Amino acid sequence: MLKRPSSRRRSAPAEVKINLVPMMDALVTMISFLMYTMAFLALTMVESPLPIVSNEQNLQEIKTPPLQLTLTVDDKDVLLWSPFDRIPQQSIPNLADGNVDLLKLHEALIGIKQKFTNETKIILVPKPTTSYDTIIAVLDAAKNLEKTDPVIVTKNEKTGVQEQVKELFSEVVFGNLLGGDE
Amino acid sequence: MASRSIRNRRGRKKIHQDFDLQLTSMMDILVIILVFLLKSYSTSTNSFSSVPGIKLPISKTQVLPPDSLHLIVTPEAITFENARVIEFVQSADALANTDQPSYNFKKEDLDEGGMRIAILYDALNRAREKAEVLRSKSTARDAEGKPLPFDGVLAIQADKRVKYDTLRKIMYTAGAAQFRVFHLLAMRQDI
Repeated sequence: MLKRPSSRRRSAPAEVKINLVPMMDALVTMISFLMYTMAFLALTMVESPLPIVSNEQNLQEIKTPPLQLTLTVDDKDVLLWSPFDRIPQQSIPNLADGNVDLLKLHEALIGIKQKFTNETKIILVPKPTTSYDTIIAVLDAAKNLEKTDPVIVTKNEKTGVQEQVKELFSEVVFGNLLGGDE
Repeated sequence: MASRSIRNRRGRKKIHQDFDLQLTSMMDILVIILVFLLKSYSTSTNSFSSVPGIKLPISKTQVLPPDSLHLIVTPEAITFENARVIEFVQSADALANTDQPSYNFKKEDLDEGGMRIAILYDALNRAREKAEVLRSKSTARDAEGKPLPFDGVLAIQADKRVKYDTLRKIMYTAGAAQFRVFHLLAMRQDI
């Protein structure tokens, strides 16, 4: 007696259907959450403390005069100088369009930082007509170190370990905030 | 009439049997949106918002501003904590050329040799006093058991065309009202 032929061979392959609805629900929920909590206004900040007027007695107590690096933004150029003549005065002329030559300024500041690796302060003296845009651009050039910039190494005074400098001059003070254009 | 009704019913039945919603393409779109959002996702702990008509400068600095008292300088006015404090005087040139607004103050709004903005000084002083009262009522105390001192942080969000002369007056006024640290806000440049 012959056996009944197997039904396996004859049956068509079963059609597999993935239920995408729960996955859709999860995706829509995630997108809603991300859009709700997302900060669309990407803000950043440059911190500057109010300058403090120091008395003459304190200055007399300091043995070596400080660098007190000063950056004066003028109509035609940018001046880098030290009131105690710790560095030769440098003048960086503006570009043909009247904007500050940020690349040359940044290079000059790197040169100063390489000599004074522990110095973190810079005094900014803009003209009354200097725009906020220019001030932020100059501060960017004075504060931030790019990846392509030369590596500057300094000795940590607390630990005695050599460390790479991450910022150029991070502490910015407006020199003429309390009065006077120079 | 009756025949149409039967036909409609038949048609409906047919659709019900064959209709299968294709969700795959919709899934693709949602996944793309999700990947885009995750890639450009950023959160912030502050409540700063922008106002129309203000053009912020762009900065490479990547420091997120913490929440603090917020002052906005638009071409028309100075706004402090969402309240318009003082309006600028617009010259004829500025009205003709909207790209170059003038940020001039009325003479009667200034004192201390034209350096301090009187109305802004009052507003900042009130905000400082309020913050000091809140700190005195707070349970947070310093090592000596005294209330935490006023932090004196002011975030300044200014239009990129604002001149330093205007900014200096604002910072001078804030300094007089015992604000010691200024956060100059800018748009973050993606590196």
